Formats: sequence, structure tokens, C-alpha cells
Amino acid sequence: MSKRSHYPSYDVMKAKDEWDDHTQQIVSKRLEPTASYSFLTKKEAAMLQQICGQLTGDERESLIFYILDHMDQTLHSSIGEGQRKVGAPKAKELLRSGLEALEQTSQEKYELSFVQLDKKAQQQLLTQLSKEQAFTSKRSSIPQKELFKKLLTMTLEAYYSHPLVWSEIGYGGPAYPRGYVRTQLGQLDPWEAQPEDE
Amino acid sequence: MNRKYGNEEVDVVIVGAGAAGGVLAHELSKAKMKVVVLDAGPMRDPQKDFASDELTMKNLGWQDTRIVDGKNPLTMGHNNSGRGVGGGTVHFTGVFLRFHDVDFKARSIDGVGEDWPISYEDIAPYYDKIEKEIAVSGPKYFPWGNFHGPYPYPEREPLSPNAYMFQNGCEKLGIESVVAPLAILSAPFEGRPPCINRGFCNQGCMPDAKFSTLIVHIPKAMDAGAEVLPDCMVTRVLMDKQGKATGVEFIHEGKAYQQKAKLVIVSAYVVETPRLLFNSANEQFPDGLANSSGWVGKAFMTHSSHDVYGKFHREIRLYKGTPVLATTQAFYRTDPNRDFARGYTLHAHGARPVEFVNGISKSTEGFLWGDRLRETMLNYNYYGRITLVGEVLPNEKNTITLAEENDEYGLPRAKVTFSYSDNDLRLISHAVKTMKNIMEAADGKPEFVVADTAHLMGGCRMGNDPKTSVVNSFGQTHDIPNLFICDASIFVTSGGGNPTNTVMALAARTADYIKREMGAGNL
Ligand SMILES: Cc1cc2nc3c(=O)[nH]c(=O)nc-3n(C[C@H](O)[C@H](O)[C@H](O)COP(=O)(O)OP(=O)(O)OC[C@H]3O[C@@H](n4cnc5c(N)ncnc54)[C@H](O)[C@@H]3O)c2cc1C
Ligand code: SF4
Repeated sequence: MSKRSHYPSYDVMKAKDEWDDHTQQIVSKRLEPTASYSFLTKKEAAMLQQICGQLTGDERESLIFYILDHMDQTLHSSIGEGQRKVGAPKAKELLRSGLEALEQTSQEKYELSFVQLDKKAQQQLLTQLSKEQAFTSKRSSIPQKELFKKLLTMTLEAYYSHPLVWSEIGYGGPAYPRGYVRTQLGQLDPWEAQPEDE
Repeated sequence: MNRKYGNEEVDVVIVGAGAAGGVLAHELSKAKMKVVVLDAGPMRDPQKDFASDELTMKNLGWQDTRIVDGKNPLTMGHNNSGRGVGGGTVHFTGVFLRFHDVDFKARSIDGVGEDWPISYEDIAPYYDKIEKEIAVSGPKYFPWGNFHGPYPYPEREPLSPNAYMFQNGCEKLGIESVVAPLAILSAPFEGRPPCINRGFCNQGCMPDAKFSTLIVHIPKAMDAGAEVLPDCMVTRVLMDKQGKATGVEFIHEGKAYQQKAKLVIVSAYVVETPRLLFNSANEQFPDGLANSSGWVGKAFMTHSSHDVYGKFHREIRLYKGTPVLATTQAFYRTDPNRDFARGYTLHAHGARPVEFVNGISKSTEGFLWGDRLRETMLNYNYYGRITLVGEVLPNEKNTITLAEENDEYGLPRAKVTFSYSDNDLRLISHAVKTMKNIMEAADGKPEFVVADTAHLMGGCRMGNDPKTSVVNSFGQTHDIPNLFICDASIFVTSGGGNPTNTVMALAARTADYIKREMGAGNL
């Protein structure tokens, strides 16, 4: 299976005038990432850019910058985390000290900064992180799997909220005031993505 | 703060305007009582404050951090707790089931869990009342349990592609399935329109087709004179020297206030209710209010809610239609041929991209990310999904306690400790197998199993014995006669189906009791 959309010419934003104003505003804003950060340092942002690219399997800047915006806002805000495992550091700390540990590990292992590593080495480090095996004993107090999960969740929830990605996967997007009428298996409403595979 | 009853002792103050709080506010204010309702979260306008967007509407959940522990630490927030007027009903899925007679007598009949101090017959008239009040839509004939329909409103039609997939699979296997009974309109009712099948029930219903107490019970309560105060976090139940409740203390925009009342009802849901009782401890009640039994916060439950995602050759399109439209309770009751007690409900369950990716990226297969994830997601429209609502047996070791860390109000955060029991795990394996079978029968290939949970119940359970329970069957605490608890926390067992019909029916029953007892001068 190749990395190809079944719906190359579908653009969910073409229907945006059909959406309520509040939703229109929210989704349109995602197309204009700010790239100015309140919580993240420049260095962290640069690292996250690579990490998000790895996690999503997509390096397009317009998408990655939107993810960084989302991460920055989430970490900057005082909104709670929903839940945190007993003993785990708070999200802000986890991210900050986690990225630092990842950078140092990269320096120790490869004598290169994380952002200078080739894709394969980056992938390897992230895989190890997801298995609690990336950091040496000095930094073992950082829950690596929790860190990986936090990065993954924040990255994916933003990436899959971007209208460009919605179009590629053929998601119908916001649906109000217009709902769905033709809902039998195999039926499509006229504005839904039409598969274009041969 | 602009107040109606600010300087008065009212008849009743209710903490939490959710499923139970909404019903109580409506019933008691209709009976001409002076009622104040306080909710920690905002009063939203569905037209302006909701959006057809998953990421934005995460804010309907109780996002404040809870510390989680145990072998199976729970995902909280949007997953199981609401915040704001309407509580969990604002973003719930609307599946509206009754418990069966056996659910109230699991100990006597199946030798597991506990018996409730009431039976199905005690609550049946209140199920009737609530279902009528919100025009529940459902099948002409419902094959399981004690109530077989018809429902006040006809079943939904058309369904969603995923629901049709589920029905096909069930039919091939000879498993009976029905259109789900829903707190969602199938025809106009009280000025509200029928559902347009847009699929965003978990983000708040913009057209008001789905019931919530935000749009149904709370406005009616306000019309009947109730004062409803949003953004008011109750921090303490106030007590006098005689051991009676005198009202509550709450914080609004950083300032502390008090509301005096003859009767205090806590309807703050399974985590916040015990937390408030603990945080209200004083010299006379050093272990927290109403906790002479030591059972406050104990034996709370969730439902196991594993998802099976399967891939099909043809498109399903999980985003289309109300998330749950087809259901089976064919595996609901204990079957001696199985290796576990009690049972479960299965739903065909839609998913928008964020929920979908959040699930499959962390399935029991391990983490999925990078190129493989992207390739899978490009086939999003080719996946179907079935979800479990499985009974979880009460276990004294599953607890709500106080953590060492404080929140923004300076109050200790809640700590939520949860582990499955062996019976729970055997039930899950059975259900996962059934879900896979259904999917395969519908020509799909099960690819991801996602361990998940849904709903919270218990933690202040009802019972006849004050030594082993917190409240009586009307929610009146054994220790403090004018302090009531009325929400999902008073459940004794979880049942194997979605709980909110039972939460609301119990609230209506409590309201009747309070009206009777207050009228007779007993409260
Ligand atoms: C995503 C999701 C889907 C669901 N789907 C279904 C379904 O399909 N069918 C079903 O039957 N059930 C479903 N549920 C469960 C349902 O939402 C709950 O069973 C129900 O809301 C519980 O009612 P309650 O009155 O006990 O608490 P809630 O409705 O949660 O209300 C509690 C209220 O108390 C407030 N509060 C808490 N602490 C304080 C305080 N200290 N001061 C002031 N206010 C406070 C909160 O803000 C909240 O509004 C779902 C839940 C979720 C999260
Ligand atoms: S699917 Fe129906 S009930 Fe659910 S949000 Fe949409 S219109 Fe409301």
C-alpha cells in the first residue's frame, strides 16, 4: 500500500461556507500557523519539528507548524491534563526535561544534536523511547513511555484536525447545519469525497 | 455577583447541574421549593459555544488533572467526565438503556458483586417518566430485559453505514440486534428538531436534537424559579455543631461565597462527589462527611469499553451518522457456559479522525506511528468499529482518594486508582472475540483492539446497612439526614449497559422522596 490518498482532488475547505461561523473560524485558523511560541524555546521547537515529522510520517511544514502551535498553546495554558499517572512529572516538566534528555542522549550516542541526526537514527531513538530504553540510568527518572505517549497524542490530535489531512483521508469534516442524508452502505451525499482509485 | 437567593437560606442547594442535578433541580423547583444549583463549569450556548470539531470540544470534559493509579489507570477528562451545566449529558453519546432486574440482584442471583437495596420494580415507573419526558426514540420491540417497548418515539431511520455493517454481521451469526434506544429525537419534540445524522454527539449537539439537561431540565427548572449559577466551584459542605449540613461554600471568579440551605444535595459525579466529602472533613467528621462506614470513595466502577477496528474492502465511513445506532444485548446475562459472571452490551460505534487515530495509535498491538500509521489513516474510510460496554464488578480496592498535590483552588486533587479483576478480564476477552466474529461475518478484517473504558459509577454506594454503605436508596446519607448524594456515585454495581437512564430515574425517585419527606416535615 502506497502513501496515496483515495481522494486526490477532494478539498474539504470547499464546503466551508456550509459550516456554522464558529466552526469555520476555528478550522480556517489552522491554515495559518503563527510560528511564534510562548512556552517552547527555539531549540525545543526545532526538535519537535523533527519529532512531529517522524510521528506523523509527514514533513510538510505547513502541517508541522500547525502542530507546534497546538503543542505550544496546550503547554502554555493552565488547562488541566485530564489525568496524570501517579509519580509522573507535570506535562510541562515532562516535555521540557524529556526533550533535554533526548538531546543529551543523542549527543552521547552519536556526538550529534538530535536535529542533525539522519532520519533513521532519529527513528531509532524514538522507538527506544517508546520502549523505555532510550535514556541511560542518569535520566531514568523520566518516564519515557509517558513522554512518548504525550508527544504522540499531542501530535496526532493536531495533525488529524488539519483540513488538508481531512481532505486526504476523505473525512467529511464539520457537518452543521448540514447533516447526512444518504447513509446506507456505499451511498454518498454529493459533497462527500468520491473515491478516485482505478 | 448578581444573586436571587444570595442572602437567604433556600430549601435545597444542589452541587452539580449534570444528569442527576438537572432532574432534581427541575422536579424540586416545580414543587415550589427554593432551589439553587451550582456548577463548576460554564453555561454554554450550543449555537455559539459548540463547534463541529473534536479538538476544540475537548473542553466539554472535566480537564482538571486527576492523579491516576492502579494496574489499569483510567483515562479521565472528556473520556468519562463532563464539566459545566448539563454535566456529562452535554457530550454523552445518548444511548439510553434500562438496567435489567438481574442487575439489582447480582449477589443473590449470580453470586458476585452486591445486591442493590431496591429492585427493578422500584425504579421502573421512573424509567417510564424520564423516557417520556425526553421522548426517547427506540425500537417497537426491545428483546432484552424487562421493558420491551414501545418507546415514546419511533426508532431512528436511516442509520449509519457502520450500524448497517454491524447489523449485517450480527444477522449472519444469528445474533439479535436492534436500533439503539437513544435520548435523540427521531421527530420534532417541544420545539426541538429531529437529528440530522451529523455524528458529533460527543462534541455537543448544535441543533439540539440530542437531549442534555443543559437544554431540557435546567431551562425548565429556571422557568420554575430555580437559580442556576455556572462557574461556581463548590469547595466545602458547611456543617453546624449538631452535625447537620447548613449549606455550601463555593468559589466564583476567585472569590469565596456561601449559600445557606436546609438541604444539601451533592450531584458532582463519581470523582468529585467523594472528593468534596473528603475535603469537607471537620472535627466531628474527621474522615470526611458521611463516611462513618469508610465506604466513601470505595468500589467505584467503570465499564470496560474495548474497541475493535476492522478493515473492509468497501468504504464504511465512520464519521457518518449518530455514533451509536445499533446495539445488541444478546450477551447481557450470566451464562453458566462461559468462564465469567455477568455480561455486556455491544454497540456499532462511529469515530471521527482524532478519536480514531488516538485509538489505533495505541492499540494492544503496540504503538503505531510514522509511515505505517499514515498509510493506515489514508484508509480511514475503510474501517468499521464495534465497541463494548462491559460490566465491571465492584472491588473495594478501586478507590477515589485525595492526592498530595493541590489544584488551583488549593484543594487536594482526586486520586483515582483502578485495576480490573479476573472476571472483568475474562469478560473482556469474550467480548473482544464476539466483536471480531461480528466484524468478520460482515466481511471485515479485525485489525486493532483498543483497550478503553467508559462511564463511572459507584464510590458512595447505597445500601440498607450504614456500616457498609454511604446512602440509603434515596441518596440520603446514613450519617447526616439533610445531606443527600444523588448521581452515578450511588450505584452498587455497574450493570452491563450505559448508565444515564438509571442515574436520572434514581434522581427522579430521590426528588419524590424529598418532596414527600419535606412535606411531612421530616427533613
Ligand atoms: C464521552 C461520553 C459518552 C457517554 N455516553 C453515554 C451514553 O451513550 N449513554 C449513557 O447512558 N451514558 C453515557 N455517558 C455517561 C453519562 O455522561 C453519565 O452517566 C452522566 O452524565 C452522569 O450523571 P451525573 O449526574 O452523575 O454526573 P454529571 O452529569 O457528570 O454531572 C456532574 C456535574 O457536577 C459538576 N461538578 C463537579 N464537581 C463540582 C463542584 N465541586 N462544584 C460544582 N459543580 C461541580 C460538573 O461540572 C458536572 O456538570 C457518557 C459519558 C461520556 C463522557
Ligand atoms: S448526530 Fe444527531 S444528535 Fe448527534 S450531534 Fe448530530 S444532530 Fe445532534
